[in-house]
Amino acid sequence: MKILNQMFGHGDGHGLRTNRRQFLQSAACGFGGLALNGMLGARAASVGSIGQSGLHLPARARRVIFVFLAGGPSQGDLFAPKEYITRKHGTAIDSPVGDDGQLRVGVAQFLPMAPIKPVRPRGQSGMMISDLLPHMAEVADDFCMLRAMVADNKAHFPAALQFHTGHIAEARPSMGSWMSYGLGTENADLPGFVTIHPPGDPRTYGAGFLPARHQGTPLRVPRNEKELAIENLTDPNATADTQRRRLDFLQRSNQRLLDHVGGDAQMEGIISSFELAFRMQTETPDLVDLSGESKSTLAMYGVDEGASDTNGRACLLARRLSESGVRCVQVTMDGWDHHGDILHALPNSCSKADKPIAGLIRDLKQRGLLDETLVLISGEFGRTYWSQDLSGTSPIEKHGREHQQESFCTLLAGGGVRGGCVYGETDDFGYKPVQGKVHLHDLHATMLHLMGIDHEKLTYPHHGRDFRLTDVFGQVIGRIIA
Amino acid sequence: MKEQKSRPADRRRLLYRSPGVSHFIGGLLVALSIWICGLSVSIGAETANPGSISLSGSDHWAFQPLRASKVPPVHNKAWPQNEVDSYLLAGMEEADLSPVADADPYTWLRRVHFDLTGLPPSVEAIESFVNQNTPEAREAVVDRLLASRAFGERWARHWLDLVGYADQIGTSNNVFAQHAWRYRDYVIDALNEDKPFDHFVREQIAGDLLEAESVEEQAAALTATGFLVLGDVEIVEADKAKLRVDIVDQQLNKVGKTFLAMTLECARCHAHKFDPISLRDYYAMAGFFHNTSSIYKTNRGVWSDVNLVELPETEEQKTQRELQTRTHERQLNDWRKERQEAQVRRAQLEDLLKGGTPSEAEQQKWTQERDERARRIGRLNQLIEHAEFFYPDVPKAHGVHDVDTPTDMRITIRGNPRALGDLVERGFLQVCQSGDTPDIPASQSGRRELADWVVSNPLTARVIVNRVWQKLFGEGLVRSVDYFGLPGDQPSHPELLDFLALQLREQDWSVKKLIRGLVLTRTYRLSSQGSERQEAIDPENRMLWRMHRTRLDAEALRDAMIYVSGMLKPSGGGPALPLEFVENVGGLNPADVNPPSFRFSKWRPEQQHERTIYLPVIRHTGQPGPAALRNVFDFPQPSQFTGQRTVTTVPTQALFLMNSLVVKQHAKALAERMLGEPGTMRGRLSYLYLVLLNRPITSEETKEAEWFLGKGESSDWEELCRAMLAANEFLMRL
Repeated sequence: MKILNQMFGHGDGHGLRTNRRQFLQSAACGFGGLALNGMLGARAASVGSIGQSGLHLPARARRVIFVFLAGGPSQGDLFAPKEYITRKHGTAIDSPVGDDGQLRVGVAQFLPMAPIKPVRPRGQSGMMISDLLPHMAEVADDFCMLRAMVADNKAHFPAALQFHTGHIAEARPSMGSWMSYGLGTENADLPGFVTIHPPGDPRTYGAGFLPARHQGTPLRVPRNEKELAIENLTDPNATADTQRRRLDFLQRSNQRLLDHVGGDAQMEGIISSFELAFRMQTETPDLVDLSGESKSTLAMYGVDEGASDTNGRACLLARRLSESGVRCVQVTMDGWDHHGDILHALPNSCSKADKPIAGLIRDLKQRGLLDETLVLISGEFGRTYWSQDLSGTSPIEKHGREHQQESFCTLLAGGGVRGGCVYGETDDFGYKPVQGKVHLHDLHATMLHLMGIDHEKLTYPHHGRDFRLTDVFGQVIGRIIA
Repeated sequence: MKEQKSRPADRRRLLYRSPGVSHFIGGLLVALSIWICGLSVSIGAETANPGSISLSGSDHWAFQPLRASKVPPVHNKAWPQNEVDSYLLAGMEEADLSPVADADPYTWLRRVHFDLTGLPPSVEAIESFVNQNTPEAREAVVDRLLASRAFGERWARHWLDLVGYADQIGTSNNVFAQHAWRYRDYVIDALNEDKPFDHFVREQIAGDLLEAESVEEQAAALTATGFLVLGDVEIVEADKAKLRVDIVDQQLNKVGKTFLAMTLECARCHAHKFDPISLRDYYAMAGFFHNTSSIYKTNRGVWSDVNLVELPETEEQKTQRELQTRTHERQLNDWRKERQEAQVRRAQLEDLLKGGTPSEAEQQKWTQERDERARRIGRLNQLIEHAEFFYPDVPKAHGVHDVDTPTDMRITIRGNPRALGDLVERGFLQVCQSGDTPDIPASQSGRRELADWVVSNPLTARVIVNRVWQKLFGEGLVRSVDYFGLPGDQPSHPELLDFLALQLREQDWSVKKLIRGLVLTRTYRLSSQGSERQEAIDPENRMLWRMHRTRLDAEALRDAMIYVSGMLKPSGGGPALPLEFVENVGGLNPADVNPPSFRFSKWRPEQQHERTIYLPVIRHTGQPGPAALRNVFDFPQPSQFTGQRTVTTVPTQALFLMNSLVVKQHAKALAERMLGEPGTMRGRLSYLYLVLLNRPITSEETKEAEWFLGKGESSDWEELCRAMLAANEFLMRL
C-alpha cells in the first residue's frame, strides 16, 4: 500500500537540494506533525498521532468512513414515519410550507404519502428503521440517528458541495481534506483521504486552498480486468519491458537536464513521480484486490450478490483502507433521487446499500475498530413527506418525493457517538425541526470534535484571512456523544 | 510531491499565529459581528458623518500613492539594459549577489515564445533568430509575438482565471452559458488590440454605462460586463433574496480581488480583521451592485438565469444574419413539410392497416413503412425543436444593466437579507481615497464612478503590473499576487513596482508596452541555472539573480503537444459548446420544469486540435473530452479565484503522460511528421529536438536516441516521441 501513498505525495522528501520553503513542504508530507504544528502552534510541536498531547481535545475517533447516499434518501420511508402523514395518505392537506413564494414542482397538491413499506422499532433502542433495510435494522443499536438535520440548498450540486465542504459554492476544502490536513495520515504509506466512486463534482473531494496533498484520492473498484482502479493506470498495449525501456530513456534525458541546471526540486519531483507511477501500475491492483478476504466477510458485505456487489466491494475496501490508517474514506452510493415511482425505485436502491452498510458496521465491530472509527451515513438532503407527481396526472402509487433540505435524517455510528441514540424531532409534516436541530455546520463541528479537534481552531490562511470547515458557524452536539 | 505556492507558507503562518491576529472563535465572532453591526448603527445615529471611522492600517504600503524614485546607481554599469535592470541589480548588489550568465539564445527564444503566446517557436523562427541574436533581432521577435493572435489567446486565459469563467451557468443540471464565449473572445480581442488597461477595467465594471464611438465598441463594452456575471452564480437557489445579496457579494469580491487584490467580503459581516476596511465601506461599495440587475427569475420552477443583453450589430453583421436566417428558415420549412407529409402518410398507413383486409405481405410492408415514418417523425421533431430554439437571433451576451430606481443599500446583518441594518450611502473604500471622489448620479447605479475610482487608486496599477510580472518572471514582486492586504507579502522591490505602475499610466495603460519592456530586459534574459553561493544567501531568488523555472500549465502543455505534432488548427473564437448538434442539448421544451441543458455526446472534430482556450469550461465535473488534460495539470476549478495557479507534482500526471490515449495519439502524429521529413535518421533526430525542445541535439543525445530507435521503424519513432513528450525539458520553460 506504500505505493498509493507515495503516489499522492505522502512519502518522504526526495532528498533534494531544496530551499527552506520546499523543505517544509516536503517534510510535512510524511506525517501529520507539521500540519498540526502549523495549526496548533507550539503546543503540538511533535505530534505524530492522535492521543498524544497536542490535540485540542481527547479524541474519540481516529478515522472517519463516510457513506454518501447521493441524491437524497427519503427519511419518511426509511427512518422517521409520521403518524399524521400516514393517516392523511392520499388526501390533500394545507401546505405546511407556507407562502414563501417558491414554486415546488409537482407538489402543488400536497398529498401526504405514507411510507411505502413498514417502518418498525428495532433493537433495544426501538430506533425506527424500514423493512427495506433489514440488515441495517439488525445493527440499529450501533447507530445514532439525527432526525432534524438541516442544509441550506435544495439542489443536488450545491447541497452535495455543502455537505462535503460546508459551502454551497466556491472551491473550499472538503471535510476529508480538512481531516487530512489537521491530523495527517496515520499511516505514512497511505494518503489521508481516499474517495471510492467519488461524486462527479471534483470539489467534493478537492483540497481547495489547502496543500494539494490533502485532496481526496479517487479510487474505483474494478469490476473486471479491463477496468482501472485509477485513471490511466496502465496502457493495455504496452508491456512492462517496453515501458521500462521508454522510461529509462526519458529519465536519462531528465537527469542530464537536472545536472545541467544544477539541481531543481520540481524536476526531481517529476522524475520520482514517474518511477512511482511505473510501480503503481503493478502494485495498485493488489491494493484493491479483495480475494484475500474470507468468504464470510465477503458475504457479510453482500459481495458477489448482484445488487449489493459494487457497494459491498466499495465498503469492504473502505474498511481495508481505514484499518490501515487512512484518516477519511468516503464511499459514494448513487441512486437516491426518487422524484417518481418511489414505490419501485427505493427498494431497488436499498437492496444495493443495505448489506454493504450493515456489513461495514458489523465488520468494524468484530475487529474492534468501531469504537475508534466514526461512520457517517447520509444524503445531501432528504425528501418531502408529501408526494411529487411530475406528470400531474399519475396515481399516487406512481408518485415520488421532492428534495427537502429543511429537515432530513443522518446516521452516525461508532467513534464516540451514543449507539441507539435518536436525536431531534420535526413537526407533524416531517418538515420543520421542532427540537434537536442539527445544521450541517454542527455536524461538521461535532465530527471534528470527536476526532479531537476544536472546529474553531482548525484554520488555514487564504487570501488574507483564516478559513475553517465550519466558516463562522457550527456548534458541537454534545448530547449525541457517549 | 512538491507544491509551489505564491508565497512562503511558513512566513505567512508566523504572521497569522502572532498575538493580536489570533483565530476567530465562532460564537464570539457571531457576537462580535452583531456587536459591530449594532455599533455602526449607533454611530450612524449619533454622528454627522457616519462614514468616517478612523482605521488603523491605512499607512500600509499598498494604500500609499504611487511614488516616483530615482533609478538607483549600480556598480556593474555594463550589465543593465534599462531602468528595470538597474533597480534589480541594485538590489542584488546590496545583498552581495550578482546576476548569473545570460541564457543561450535557444532558451531565451523558447521562453519568450511560451510566455507571450503559450506555444513553442517554430523551427524557422529558431533558425532565423539564433543566427542573429542581436538586440534588434530580440525586439523583432517580441514585436512579432505581441502582434500575433496567439498572444491574446495566451494572456486571456490568465485573465479568465480571475473571473470564474465557464460555459455553464451554476453547477446544477448542465445549464449552458450559451453566450459566455463572447466574453472570452472579448478578452482575447482586448489584449490583442492592446486596449488600454484602464479602459479594459471600465468596460468590465460599467461597459453598459459608457458612451461608445462605434457599434463594435458598444458591443464590446456590453459584452465586457460579463465579468460581473460569469462567475459561480447558484441560479437554482430558491431563496431569491439570498441569491441577490450573494451575487452582490460575489461581484464586489471579484472587483476587490481582481483589481485591488483586497478581500472585501470579510467586511460583509464585520470590520475587516486585518485591513482597514469597515462594514460601512463594504455596504457603500456593495451599493453599486445592489443597483445592478444581473439575474432574473425564469418561468421554470425555482430557476433563475443570468441576464442577457442584446448587442448592436454592424450593417455587415446584420446582412450576414439575414442570410443565415433565410437558410435556417428554408431548412426549417423543409423539415416541417417533410414532417407533415410523413404524418399524413403515417395516418394513411394506419388506416390501411386497420381497415380492409391486407395480405400478409402488404401488412408487413405497411407496418414497416409506418414504423419508419414514425421514427423519422420523432427525429424531425427533435430537429425542428432544436432549430426553433436556436433560430438566428440578434447577438446576445451575458451582462448587466442598472435597475430602474437606484437606492442605497442596507446593511444585511451577517449577510442575512432579512435582517437589515442601516442604510449606507454608496461610496468608496475610505483608505484609498485621495482627493475628490466622483459624485454618483441619482439615476444610476454608480458603477461608472466606481470604475473611475478603481482605475485612479494606487492599488489597481500596482496589482496589474505585479500580475504581469509574475506571469513573465514566475513570481510576483509581491508574491501574494491576489492579496495586497496587511498580512500579505511585502514587495521585494517597492520602488520598481511603483516605477512600473507609473510607467504603465504614462504609457496610456498599454499592457503590450509593459510586457515588451519587461521581456527585453537583461533580467528576463538570465539563465535559470543556480549558484550554490547565491542560493545560500537568497534561497527563494527574491532578488532575481536568475530566472525562475516554471512548468508549463495545462493550456500551454496541451497546446504545445498539438503544435509539435503538427495538428494545431487555428481558430477565430466563437461558441465553445457544440450546441449545434441536436444530441448535445436537452430540455428545450418551454414547458419543461428544468432549463435547457447541454451534454457532450458529440464534439466538433476540430475541437481536438484547437487551442485549449477555445474548449468549453465546465463547473460541475472535471473538464470534458479534449480538455481532460486540464483535470490532471492544476487547472483551477472555475469557482476558484487564482491569480497564480498552484503547481503540484503527482504521479497521476506521470500516468497521464505515460498511458493516456491523447498523448499516444500526439506521439504517433509527431512520429509521422518526423518520418515525413526527408533525410537520414540523424537528420530527423536533430529536427525532432529542434521541434520539441527548440534547441540542437547534442552528440551524446544523438547516440542514445539512435540506439533507442534501433531499426527506426515507425513504432520505434512513436516510442521515442512518447518518451520525449514526457521529458522535463518539454514540460518546463527554463
